[in-house]
Amino acid sequence: MSSAPQTPARSGRDWPFFAGLIILSGVYIALIVAMLVADLSFTTPHHLLRAFASAEIRYSVKLSLISCTLTTLLSLWVAVPTGYLMSRYQFPGKRFVDSVLDIPIVLPPLVMGLSLLILFQTPIGRAIQRVVPVTYAIPSVILAQFSVACAFAVRTMLVTFDQISPRREQVALTLGCNRSQAFWLVALPEARRGVLTAATLAWARALGEFGPILVFSGATRMRTEVLPTTVFLELSIGNIEAAVAVSLLMIIAALAVLTIARTFGLRAPLERVL
Amino acid sequence: MTITKNPWIVLLGTLVAVGLLVALLMGPGKRLRTAGAEPKPLLMYCAAGIKPPTEAVAVEYEKAFRQRIQLQYGGSGTLLSNLRVTKSGDLFLAGDESYIKSAREFGLLAEVIPLARQRPVIVVAKGNPKNVRAVNDLCRGDARVALANPDAASIGRTVRALLQKDGQWTELEKHVTVFKPTVNDVANDVKIGSVDAGIVWDATARQYPELELVAVPLFDAAAETISIGVLKFSEQPAAALRFARYLGARDKGLKQFVKHFYEPADGDEWAETPEIVLFSGAMLRPGIEKTLKEFEAREGCRITTVYNGCGILTAQMRAGARPDAYFSCDQSFMSSVADMYLPSETVVDNRLMILVQKGNPKGIRTVADLLKPGTRVGLPHHEKSAMGNIAWKMLQQMGLYDELQKNLTVESPTGDFLVNQIRTGSLDAIIACRTNHKPVSEHLDAVPIDSPLAAMSQPYAAGRNTRYKHMMSRLLQAFTTAESRERLETVGFGWRFQSKPNP
Repeated sequence: MSSAPQTPARSGRDWPFFAGLIILSGVYIALIVAMLVADLSFTTPHHLLRAFASAEIRYSVKLSLISCTLTTLLSLWVAVPTGYLMSRYQFPGKRFVDSVLDIPIVLPPLVMGLSLLILFQTPIGRAIQRVVPVTYAIPSVILAQFSVACAFAVRTMLVTFDQISPRREQVALTLGCNRSQAFWLVALPEARRGVLTAATLAWARALGEFGPILVFSGATRMRTEVLPTTVFLELSIGNIEAAVAVSLLMIIAALAVLTIARTFGLRAPLERVL
Repeated sequence: MTITKNPWIVLLGTLVAVGLLVALLMGPGKRLRTAGAEPKPLLMYCAAGIKPPTEAVAVEYEKAFRQRIQLQYGGSGTLLSNLRVTKSGDLFLAGDESYIKSAREFGLLAEVIPLARQRPVIVVAKGNPKNVRAVNDLCRGDARVALANPDAASIGRTVRALLQKDGQWTELEKHVTVFKPTVNDVANDVKIGSVDAGIVWDATARQYPELELVAVPLFDAAAETISIGVLKFSEQPAAALRFARYLGARDKGLKQFVKHFYEPADGDEWAETPEIVLFSGAMLRPGIEKTLKEFEAREGCRITTVYNGCGILTAQMRAGARPDAYFSCDQSFMSSVADMYLPSETVVDNRLMILVQKGNPKGIRTVADLLKPGTRVGLPHHEKSAMGNIAWKMLQQMGLYDELQKNLTVESPTGDFLVNQIRTGSLDAIIACRTNHKPVSEHLDAVPIDSPLAAMSQPYAAGRNTRYKHMMSRLLQAFTTAESRERLETVGFGWRFQSKPNP
């Protein structure tokens, strides 16, 4: 048997595979696009413009973008060390800690909000509030987003560090690095893609966060109103057009930020290679 | 790319980024704060469905009174749980009556002011393509129907109760396509077209120009009131109540409700400081003075109270005086002017007694003993005072009045007058009230009178034509609180008011 007939035979076997890939992923992508198109039928450029012209909605866009970014930064500062700790070290009760870290993912969002609300009515919570007002104020928005988004970032970092072999860090240690240097000089640069994924996941999760914010921060115009709140408020007075317009605004903002982040985030390792 | 390898630079970079973002957020906050000397904002929990009129009124009020109102929107149930947990905030506007009722049961509400009326209707797409005319059309099977969950939303509960009584519920339930958590979800479904018909509040339906209402006569019986309540734990109840009064005023806030197609409640007129005139029997003064002061401070109104004998007060009414409310010395006087007042409520009672010098030196045990020769008797004036009038009727009925004339030394306009006269020693016995005796019980003894006619009851009623009907009914509430009851009982009144279950 020569290799000549092998090529068409192999391509013949691959075709259904690719078709399968395309069809299965295509169904999902088509679903997403179809939903967007259906949304478009319930709004007009006029509604979009009017939504953007409203000071309240512009405020909620701004609050959403800034609070999500703050949440992302805070989440990374917690998720990277937590993920590293959980991945590299063994300690008693680790399984339990691992489960605790999943609680924010498992808990219904409304319950997260309620729990935060109750927490800040305890003596400790009240003491904090005497210094910084949290409940129904902007810090509550960030805290509500953080408490959920961070869990996703932690999960991502844990998997990332799990997949990076500790060998290179061990080599760095034998070459005279201390633990901190091994982390900053070896482990973290290697985890760059994971950090970026964790960041985008946290950011996107925070942007869509609604349940805890509604309960813990309220839906006060020009104060704690984020984009999902706006959608909820418009829906609760039957203004579906405006609700859809604001949702589209959210999608546009999210796509823009995520695309930019991925472009910049992915360019860096390339530079390193070059 | 060595930057990220230095922890301090990463930390510094994060701090700078956080600082910049926080500064961006604080921008508009500062602008608001420099507005400076305004009073603390009022925190109002507002059902999201009632946002349009409420927000308009809040803006109007902020401009007029430099009082910021922080509106916190959400579903009524969510808001209720929130305010139960935080125990903070000033006002609660619920989407329907059931939440106000629960809030009351949880002891969260002080004053409640009605804003609008609503009743269930069937709602369909414009043009009524499925030709739905009544509840049984929803059971035909060709129309997809959405209802609000009877356990989550009050509209669902109301409709279920009505139709169960009518025997249509089991059938309708079989044909319901979906149960939604809130009334707006139902209306939204009809608007989007995922169902053909739903049952919602008419007030909700009218917010949707693309929908058509189908009135159901059966549902008219279930009309209910949207109200705003002042929260018990409000730290600025006077300011909160003032805004609630503004919102519920027929010439202020309710105009916005009309503009947004709500059927307004019969609200009070607006005045920043309402001037109230209360006519009150003189005997009530020591028991209600403090309560009135507190009421004035809380409501921001000014009350001119005219205390006098009820004979004089009712004569003034017949001559044209129209007080905003009347707290009468006795039911008989209230009945004589009933046409000028809304239905009255009996608050307290009182009783005629014979008062004698300490130790009862003349040995007076019954009314007949007053006829003993040489007993100097004082009576309240039979025309000028309610008490005198009642004493006169009682003595007439006992057949003692004419005979008593020989011992009658003086007729005085009020019980206090008589008490002073007997205390100076110029009288041996007087007929007066339990409330006249209580403050001087160290100096005088009381002899009970065994006659059903010795009993008097004190009813309160709001004027039929007062501009402040709701405020006057809140005054009744103020008279019937535990504190007020204690004050009235301390001066000798007996408690009669029975709180009815909340309407």
